[in-house]
Amino acid sequence: MSKELKNIPSSGKEYWRSLEQRVKAPETEAFPHREFPEGTAEHGATFSRRNFLSLMGASLALAGLTSCRRPVEKIIPYVIAPEEIIPGIPLYYATTMPFGTEAIGLVVENHEGRPTKLEGNPKHPQSLGKANVFAQAAILDLYDPDRSQSVLYRGEERSWSEFLAAWKELIKEYESSDGEGLAILSEPFASPTLARLKKAFLRRFPKARWAAYEPVNDENIFSGVNMAIGEIGRPVYHCTEARVILALDSDFLQLEHDNIRNAAGFADGRRVITRDDEMNRLYVVESAMTVTGGMADHRYRLQSRQIGAFTAALALELTTRGLPVDGVESLDAYKNHPFDEKWLGALADDLIKNTGRSLVVAGRRQPAEVHALVLAINSALKNINRTVEYYPIGDTEAARQEDLVSLVQAADSGDVTALVILGGNPVYNTPVDLAFREALEKITHTVHLSTHVDETSGYVEWHIPEAHFLECWGDVQTPDGVLSIVQPQIEPLFGGKSKAEVLAAVSTGDDRSGYDLVRETWQSILTGTDFNRQWRRILHDGVYDGSKVKPSRVEIRSQKLATALDKKPFPTDTAGLNSMEIVYQVSNSVYDGRFANNGWLQELPDPVTKLTWDNAIVMSRRTAQELGVKNEDLVTLQHRGRTLQLPVWILPGHADYSISVELGYGREAVGRIGNGVGGNVYTLRRSNAPGFDIGVSIQSTGKNYLLACTQDHHGLDVEKLARESIRDRLPIIVREATLEEYRENGEFVHEIVEPPPKVSMWKEIKYDERPQWGMTIDLNVCTGCNACTIACQSENNIPVVGKEEVRLGREMHWMRLDRYYSGDPDDPEMVHQPVSCQQCEMAPCEQVCPVAATTHTKDGLNGMTYNRCVGTRYCANNCPYKVRRFNFYNYAKGWPEIVQMVRNPDVTVRFRGVMEKCTYCVQRIALGKIAAKKENREIRDGEVVSACQQTCPTDAIVFGDILDPNSKIFKVKQQNRRYELLEELNIRPRTSFLAKLRNPNPDLKQTQNPKD
Amino acid sequence: MAQIFPEWTNKLPPIVAGMVILILVGIIGFFWYYGSPYYTDVGYRPEQPVPYSHKLHAGDLGLDCRYCHTGVEVSPVAGVPPTQTCMNCHTMIKPDSEKLKPIRESWESGEPMEWIRIHKVPDYAYFDHSIHINAQIGCSSCHGRIDRMEVVSLVEPLSMKWCLDCHRNPAPYIRPPGNITNMEWVPPENQLTFANRFISKNNIDPPTDCTGCHR
Repeated sequence: MSKELKNIPSSGKEYWRSLEQRVKAPETEAFPHREFPEGTAEHGATFSRRNFLSLMGASLALAGLTSCRRPVEKIIPYVIAPEEIIPGIPLYYATTMPFGTEAIGLVVENHEGRPTKLEGNPKHPQSLGKANVFAQAAILDLYDPDRSQSVLYRGEERSWSEFLAAWKELIKEYESSDGEGLAILSEPFASPTLARLKKAFLRRFPKARWAAYEPVNDENIFSGVNMAIGEIGRPVYHCTEARVILALDSDFLQLEHDNIRNAAGFADGRRVITRDDEMNRLYVVESAMTVTGGMADHRYRLQSRQIGAFTAALALELTTRGLPVDGVESLDAYKNHPFDEKWLGALADDLIKNTGRSLVVAGRRQPAEVHALVLAINSALKNINRTVEYYPIGDTEAARQEDLVSLVQAADSGDVTALVILGGNPVYNTPVDLAFREALEKITHTVHLSTHVDETSGYVEWHIPEAHFLECWGDVQTPDGVLSIVQPQIEPLFGGKSKAEVLAAVSTGDDRSGYDLVRETWQSILTGTDFNRQWRRILHDGVYDGSKVKPSRVEIRSQKLATALDKKPFPTDTAGLNSMEIVYQVSNSVYDGRFANNGWLQELPDPVTKLTWDNAIVMSRRTAQELGVKNEDLVTLQHRGRTLQLPVWILPGHADYSISVELGYGREAVGRIGNGVGGNVYTLRRSNAPGFDIGVSIQSTGKNYLLACTQDHHGLDVEKLARESIRDRLPIIVREATLEEYRENGEFVHEIVEPPPKVSMWKEIKYDERPQWGMTIDLNVCTGCNACTIACQSENNIPVVGKEEVRLGREMHWMRLDRYYSGDPDDPEMVHQPVSCQQCEMAPCEQVCPVAATTHTKDGLNGMTYNRCVGTRYCANNCPYKVRRFNFYNYAKGWPEIVQMVRNPDVTVRFRGVMEKCTYCVQRIALGKIAAKKENREIRDGEVVSACQQTCPTDAIVFGDILDPNSKIFKVKQQNRRYELLEELNIRPRTSFLAKLRNPNPDLKQTQNPKD
Repeated sequence: MAQIFPEWTNKLPPIVAGMVILILVGIIGFFWYYGSPYYTDVGYRPEQPVPYSHKLHAGDLGLDCRYCHTGVEVSPVAGVPPTQTCMNCHTMIKPDSEKLKPIRESWESGEPMEWIRIHKVPDYAYFDHSIHINAQIGCSSCHGRIDRMEVVSLVEPLSMKWCLDCHRNPAPYIRPPGNITNMEWVPPENQLTFANRFISKNNIDPPTDCTGCHR
């Protein structure tokens, strides 16, 4: 194919998916050329003649049986039909997902009492109608067959009433001693009901201990704010207002608190429609490449331990530029810093230029002093109450490590005789130096509430199954005080109890229902005359509108801040090869381990490393070279007398002599999915350094450990992609320019490539009858958060295939996120590109299907009829985007019945030997069409939304009727940044992309000189 | 030298060839017929746990279909009535009938009835009652003269060909308003004039794309 390449902006930019590809390793060359890697079609296990014969025999026998007559199917109606339920029509209820001290407002799709899909609640301020990866995947946890199924007493099944009786007997002695020796270890929460019950408990047992612990928490942020203003405050960012944002070791778009609201606001401030639009600028300073780092206009890679000194240097820089920062007088020690003067200076200038319209955020991993200083910087920049607000902590029960430490010490010395663990898994995830398990074993009476019979449950007297949030009543508060209710969608499947029910029972020995407890709390919250009317309104809306609180007044106590900064100086030395830095990362998949038994999340490729089913030691190329290790080498990590074996993964953009390890893996007692996946990093984590530490050394074991990484799978088949011409070709797939270049040349997208004359091999069909469906994806705001992938998996019954199958390139996600690097291999830029079926008008797949299983519809969809498919896989072979997925096995089979309850009844479950792919959520289109037809009208714009669009926190995905001139999609498609993938093939994809823009600081113009 | 094979073996090759052809034709014919829309379950007439007579209730007594099948106008599924619906009348009428014993037991125990499904499209085909009713397709067009059936049986094949025949040309089946549940309805002489007007006015456009039903 002849093609002229010209005028590539950011010219010289080279894109690549992995380091192997960049150095042209032989195994990656096959990826772009083949539909699947070599050997994929072969049977994985040894397949002997004997079991072939037995299988054939069995299937013949079965085939004979089933074809005899049709199976008898039963219809089972209600005995008394519930009033609201009409079989076949789902109902939607508002509820809230409590997540640490946060609240994600959700709307649940409920089919005849069976919740199947979670979406964001548009009325809820912390979800804004969107949901992140964890909220999307939480529905699968509800149907986890490995959840704890009954109350256990030392491992033996008991009933809830037996527990109550035993506990009632036990607390009699504590009542007389005011609770001496009684203790509760809770997970942090932000719930008025739990806060009220806690108060009642402490009133009854004034001498009892109370501690709250969660391995990943915002304690540092809260105490930092406290350090600066003398009061604990919860920051809420208004990213939309910020023109310049600096993220200090903070993945605030993905894993930090409030990530949905942050991502939505960030995207609003970044979205460009015309050339005259403003666009925010993001500076990121971090050790490991994160989703936020990938969005950065300027990224500075730095060991996490140096972030404090960097912040101090920035404060000094701002002060010298005439913007005095409080507490700066204690920062003299950082005047001679090793950081890039030019970078720091340009950053400081940019921040000062945007006073009141800038924002500095720091990650929860950084110590309190950094957060205090960040608050002072924000205050000096006049950002407070403009781009960041601090809210009083209210009913939030925050994690306090101090309390945990003193609880463990008391238990060790025998001062605790009864401990109730309200959720959480402290044996697994408390700092290893506390030796929690040993302390726990010294306590006579222990009660543990948890969703699974987990690592902790084995060491307790009583285990109580915890209800999923979709099974119980509760309430939650957002950081800015907005209250919402947790409303059950289904009776507890395994008889679980909520935290509130257990806490009430523990306090009084009485069995109170969650509903009564929550209503009792709300009797005092709702002040209106008609309680029931107000209550019903809140249940319907999902939020209590009148409950938002005013932000705290921020007055920095300059002197105290300076003293605090003096007291604990930031480290200024750099970690080296012999004593490396270890950074504990939250997993993008299993979070802190709580989602370890969730197959969707385990199989979800990490947005950056693209690893599935494992955690690894992530390090920079230079570090690996000097250590003499390479990808998938199993190494021994030594840290302060403890060791852990993990495989190595080299990540471009990682800080040198620093390694990142993900928490939450290496579970031993969670269930069939999560057991034994990855290594348990908590076994290295110490209480004095929960975020990052120094002193790690690595020895190679000489062994190899295979990881399932998807980064080279489904590479787009641009001619000779993996060869020399990659440099020329990839800028066509990911079109990118700087804002400046875009302003100079608005048509840069179309000038990147001069397409050859478009000649068609077939008769071209005109699609001019409304509606015609189309989609656009704005690469400029897509952060690569993965929420679309999980939303799609949940909506479309996409199976989980397991690590071995992923290694063979058989992952089934219809929506994949291609992650490209560009620039310096040690410090690259990152771009995410979501790719699903592009719904070509002249689809190559349709031309080769011998059985017409994939055909075009009148409304422009590339339809897939599973029941016609015979599995020739010609279509996948002929798809230039590699978006077709094949069921090599009957992946949907073999799961307990309860897992099947998660399936969407509107979508066929596919069998072995069937091809599948994105359908633009054709089931939603059909339902929208039927609804419109019944009212004899056209489908309204926005009436049909695809699952990926609905959940996208940044609204990067727009979907609709491209022929409707008033539709959003019509307007987006008019933008001049729009382009189609591989448009030169003249297959007319319906999905368009909007080119990515970056907004670099003109003062920091780099001459990019990629070195190999 | 004597012949190795006796003379009758000369007939073997044609016999074998003939048998092979017969078997092949048999196999192909078997799948050809049994895998085709011509082989359907028409006439399927299972015995229900209660010998409920549609002839009596819908025919002789003239109960409207929607008294029991309440979802039909709004939902993809027409719905089978809860035990409660039976008991609306049968607490008063024939409260001691032997045939109604399972209904009373269900009512008392709270255990649902288990009816046997007769009209079924495969799981990969998504049929929606409500849109057909809204497009003025009557019950009897697919379910036959239910009002004359003592025991319900399948009268139409419910095969894809049968669906498509109507989707491609719905005019003969569209009824004037008010006749959806009318079992007696037969197309009048001016059916096509009425139907064509109705089709253009209400934008009736039954899908013939695969994704219309297969999702």
